Amino acid sequence: MTLIWGGLALGAVYALVAVGYNIVYISSKTFNFAQAQLMMVGAFLAYTALVSWNLTTPVVVLVAAAVVAGVAALEQVVAVNPVRDPHNILVTTLGAAILIDGFVQLQWGSQPLAVPFFAGDDAVTFAGGRVYPVELFLIILAVVVVVALTLLSRRTMTGLALLAMAEDREAAQLRGVNVRLMAFGAFVVAGVLAGTVGVFVGPKTYAISTLGASLALKGFVVLAIGGFGSLPGTLVGGLIVGLAEACAVRYLGSEYAHLTVFLILVAVLLARPSGLFVRVRERVV
Amino acid sequence: MRLRMTAATGVFALAAAMVGCGSADGAGGDDDAYHVVVLGGLSSEGILADNASTSVNAAQAGVDFANDNGGVVGRKVTIDVIDDTGDPTVAVSKLREAIAENKPDLVLNSGPSTVAEATLPILNQNQILSFNIGPTVNSSDPKKFPLNFDIAAGADQQIAAYQDHFEEKGYGKIAILHGNSAYGETFGSTAEDLLTKSGVEVTVREEYDVAALDMTSQLQKLEASEPDAVIVDAYGAPLGYILKGVGKLGWDVPLIGNTSVSSTSLTGAAAPEGIVGTPEAKSLVMQVPSAAKRDPAAKAVNEAVERMLKHGEIKSSMVLAMNYDALPLVMAAAESADSIEAADLAKALENPKVLERASTALYDDYGFSSDVHKPQDVSREYQFIAPSVLKDGQFQ
Repeated sequence: MTLIWGGLALGAVYALVAVGYNIVYISSKTFNFAQAQLMMVGAFLAYTALVSWNLTTPVVVLVAAAVVAGVAALEQVVAVNPVRDPHNILVTTLGAAILIDGFVQLQWGSQPLAVPFFAGDDAVTFAGGRVYPVELFLIILAVVVVVALTLLSRRTMTGLALLAMAEDREAAQLRGVNVRLMAFGAFVVAGVLAGTVGVFVGPKTYAISTLGASLALKGFVVLAIGGFGSLPGTLVGGLIVGLAEACAVRYLGSEYAHLTVFLILVAVLLARPSGLFVRVRERVV
Repeated sequence: MRLRMTAATGVFALAAAMVGCGSADGAGGDDDAYHVVVLGGLSSEGILADNASTSVNAAQAGVDFANDNGGVVGRKVTIDVIDDTGDPTVAVSKLREAIAENKPDLVLNSGPSTVAEATLPILNQNQILSFNIGPTVNSSDPKKFPLNFDIAAGADQQIAAYQDHFEEKGYGKIAILHGNSAYGETFGSTAEDLLTKSGVEVTVREEYDVAALDMTSQLQKLEASEPDAVIVDAYGAPLGYILKGVGKLGWDVPLIGNTSVSSTSLTGAAAPEGIVGTPEAKSLVMQVPSAAKRDPAAKAVNEAVERMLKHGEIKSSMVLAMNYDALPLVMAAAESADSIEAADLAKALENPKVLERASTALYDDYGFSSDVHKPQDVSREYQFIAPSVLKDGQFQ
């Protein structure tokens, strides 16, 4: 069971990155390559606020969410908004990711920094396995975030407007949706999420300047498995990837971890090209 | 047409000269001086930048030592620092520029091994003496690279030191956990071979991805093999994940880290920045060269530290200060050969008497020979210590 908890916790981290990708994808039909880097900034801010400034966790969450939302907003204004072709946004957000990596290294250095967790750093026995409190928290957080965002997207006007944009941007605009404001808002919300989540990812992974790069690729794999645009898909995809990695390392060897994950990806894409939770719809033209 | 060609050539030469001027930081151009170039990834990513800083700092301190002690056969020693960003392609282009501008007499390669792999053929082609911190498969083979000397001890020497430790502690069954970096794989396979040959039972050798964020699965596999102790190769955050994993499993097993472990900042700082004094660190000892452990009686090492501090903070442990010893070695070789020609110096460096005479600080005797250009019989220069606060490159 220890293996399962470890795999689920790691999968939850991947899922939380993928949720951020999805928020931007739903609103803009493009990817924010810097999403994992934004989460990394949240982890570093958590270190500074918890260790250097001795702030309480709720305050740290507010600070990290606000600052990272600001960074995401800046990214949207500078690297996304002026770009007309969505394909070019892939390049400009990749540039933003590299800039954030460099800034983090200059500001916090290149050594791993231990981020404390509010519920303690001692492992506990739970449901037949050993697990750190932060790992349980990350699993719960991923589920809560996905359920909350799914409900928001289906039961609020803002959520419905976002879904309408994802369906047909021009039609949504004709129906009075301010698509530019919504796209900007989606970046800010993704930033808030990254900042908040970073506070709790840091205690598991350390705050380290290579964290963004480590998480970015796995986030995309999770997105492809779950389905681009599907929030429940990111949760299931993340947990599949995390568990597959953990089991492959334990029973096959670490050299098979990536291979196993990408075999699963290929199998899913062959069976369901749009991912597990997205249905392909034919259009008659 | 000729005028246009001449003008173009002139502009090209001027541009080349300007590029060359901008590529290096330091002194150069004195024809009578012994000219040293040190390559280091000062602006590379991750903790490699701190390691490169320490290596470059050590080279600069070594040059100071040489100049304060009469230079290389009376010649003043100058040094240029080239920031290769840890990238072999950058290293190659900048090294070529440096050679074209002012061919160095000595090049110090601060690693990683990919940079050494790319630059050694160029150094060989240009008949330049070199010392190298990042060993490659062939870098210490005099038949392939007669003018290069690996100055950092190989995995074999470090592993030889483990055997005495195991005997002392009574460990008979050992598991090995190592990263999938080039060094990690070499270390893991060499450790398995040498320990098996010496009669130690290796229960399992497990590799991990250096980009992995959790080590629980690997550790469960090791735990199932019931070893007396675990040899750990880890650098940076992976060490933290290993310690967290051991804590999570509640596994009470001695962990014996290699020099990569002792080069990680976590082992040299108290919580929360590091692991010194934490429960996770209680089961960990790590291998360090004696120079990395503070000893008031070690005069040569302490002098090296003092000299390095004049060039700025020592950001990593003295494990990475091997470049310092390159200069005393060259001084002794040049004195013996009465020459600064690379071939003459290389031959002299294979002479045990010359090596014995060299006023080196980190290893007493490097043991180079005409058969192998890497440190030999230096396992006695290593010790195993618990994590403790790192100050000025030394564990206190």
